[in-house]
Amino acid sequence: MNEGQIVLENVTKNFGGSVAVEPINFEIKAGEFLAIMGSSGCGKTTTLRMLAGLETPSSGEIRLNGERMNELKAHERETPLVWQTLALFPFLNVIENVEFGLKMRGVEKPERTERALKWLKRMEIEQFANRSIDQLSGGQRQRVALARALVTEPPVLLLDEPLSALDANLVVRMQSVLTRLQKELGITFVYVTHSQSEAFAMADRVVIMSAGVIEQIGSPREIYRSPASRFVAEFVGTNNIISGNIKEIKGNTMICNTAFGTIESKQEDRNTRHQKGNDVELVISADMIELSQEHTFSENEIQLQFVAEEFTGSVVTLYFEDANKNELIVQKQQREIEPLELTYGCQIFAHWNPINVFCLPDVKTE
Amino acid sequence: MMVNDKSIVWILKIYLLIIFVFIFMPIITSVVFSFNSDRFPSLPLGHFTWNWYDKVYYDSETWDAIRTSIIVALSASVLATIIGFCTAYTDFRYSFRFKNAYLALALLPPTIPLIILALAMLAWFSKLGISGQIWALIIAHTVLGAPFAMAIIRLRLQQMDKDLESAAWNLGASEWATMRHVIIPFALPSIISALCLTMAVSFDEFAIAWFVSGLNKSVPVVILEILQGNVDPQINAIGSFVFATTMTLVVIAQLFLFTKKPNNH
Repeated sequence: MNEGQIVLENVTKNFGGSVAVEPINFEIKAGEFLAIMGSSGCGKTTTLRMLAGLETPSSGEIRLNGERMNELKAHERETPLVWQTLALFPFLNVIENVEFGLKMRGVEKPERTERALKWLKRMEIEQFANRSIDQLSGGQRQRVALARALVTEPPVLLLDEPLSALDANLVVRMQSVLTRLQKELGITFVYVTHSQSEAFAMADRVVIMSAGVIEQIGSPREIYRSPASRFVAEFVGTNNIISGNIKEIKGNTMICNTAFGTIESKQEDRNTRHQKGNDVELVISADMIELSQEHTFSENEIQLQFVAEEFTGSVVTLYFEDANKNELIVQKQQREIEPLELTYGCQIFAHWNPINVFCLPDVKTE
Repeated sequence: MMVNDKSIVWILKIYLLIIFVFIFMPIITSVVFSFNSDRFPSLPLGHFTWNWYDKVYYDSETWDAIRTSIIVALSASVLATIIGFCTAYTDFRYSFRFKNAYLALALLPPTIPLIILALAMLAWFSKLGISGQIWALIIAHTVLGAPFAMAIIRLRLQQMDKDLESAAWNLGASEWATMRHVIIPFALPSIISALCLTMAVSFDEFAIAWFVSGLNKSVPVVILEILQGNVDPQINAIGSFVFATTMTLVVIAQLFLFTKKPNNH
């Protein structure tokens, strides 16, 4: 039996009459950085709380190292959690907060202090050991929360949106602290977030949840480049989702009729599941579309009118429409579009490589 | 406009001053006359004297009453605070059917007219056969104080991040350890505050004490008995002592209640 460190098997959770988590199945490998991502109310936090023992699954089984842990109480588990609110004890100072887990495990005072100090040093906050919590900045509190959770040297660390209260620049710094820490310790991190940038920046694998169901599990690249469902395609990145009907399938090439005319898609495995005449949804990532002022005579080329732009730093999101007011979104680096000299209303040619056109698996069959 | 604003502020200040004078004048008068040599409270004042305090000091009945009051106040405040804490924690932690009814019941005693409560207590205690014992007074004052203790502790627990409790479990603390190491330390200022306030309530309380205390008279009961006999400036001395004790307790309670951040050092 070669299963992952943590296994969730048909795990569900109901609160009263409402279903928070539908049967979900996934494994977490030892030493993996796994992110569970979704919007609020998707069941991601409930799933994490079930791992911590703060909620009991309504059915199904959670196993840690092959052993069922459904009935194990929260305080009997070695799955510390870093809370969204941090939940530091306000009546204890920094080092007493960090020592708490050791104290509860009956570790004697001298050893407790030594181990807590080691972690404060590691988190670079040892100079604040005797401060009270409300004398610390947001970033420093974050480090106290991490030290408090890690001081017992657990095999798994759970994190519930720990960076959501921090300033944007601090978030990026804490991300690198977390990823480095996870690599150095070699323990499993399960990280719940609604932020795509956090999940993609740190995680080895991402689980995308929606309404209590897992939509997709994969590496950030897989999810970004080949979303498994319309939900994922809309949730991650900036994707154009175009409805169409399959006109022709030749090997791994598929030609579809769409509002933009015929669009060609080349995929190794995914397109073979579809049949001629089926309605499909094609996904073209906004950053995979090329723009030019002249005809390029590529396979997928359409003429568009420039209608709007959204400037957010170095990346620009451009909105185009064809003659029938169908919208297409393109994302480019600012420096890439400067030579195009775009003005509102100007005509431009957009094209893209067929290997970047994905067909969503949830086919609408007649 | 500025002139108007200022005059309003002054009027309000004077109004406040008048209210305070109105409230505190009798007490101040009582304190002043407790140091006055004249037998009857009248102006102009006589000379300064410790005489009335001396008289109280050597009066064994007063000492018995003070002893009774202290024993009752200490026991009742501890019991009331324990009951109040349990009620407040139940409210904080659990949600159940009829919770509102439960809370209403817990907060009920102060809304019942004291005479009714006192009569009911007297009837009930004589059924139990403890009427006139010090226990009767302790139980009665516990009932009276518990709702105050609950209200104060509940206020504090409402400020607590609900995640703190879960965080303690998550770090390996059992429910009892969490109670000891997280809930009680967090609620400690309000617990001390509740102790002081319920002690003050018990120390001051007259109506119920008069009905149920029997031979274990508390200070307010003795005051009335002296007063019924004759006008004696001793009353002013005892009154000043009771006032000082109660105010000290209330001020301590306030200090703990309104300290936002518990000190760590």
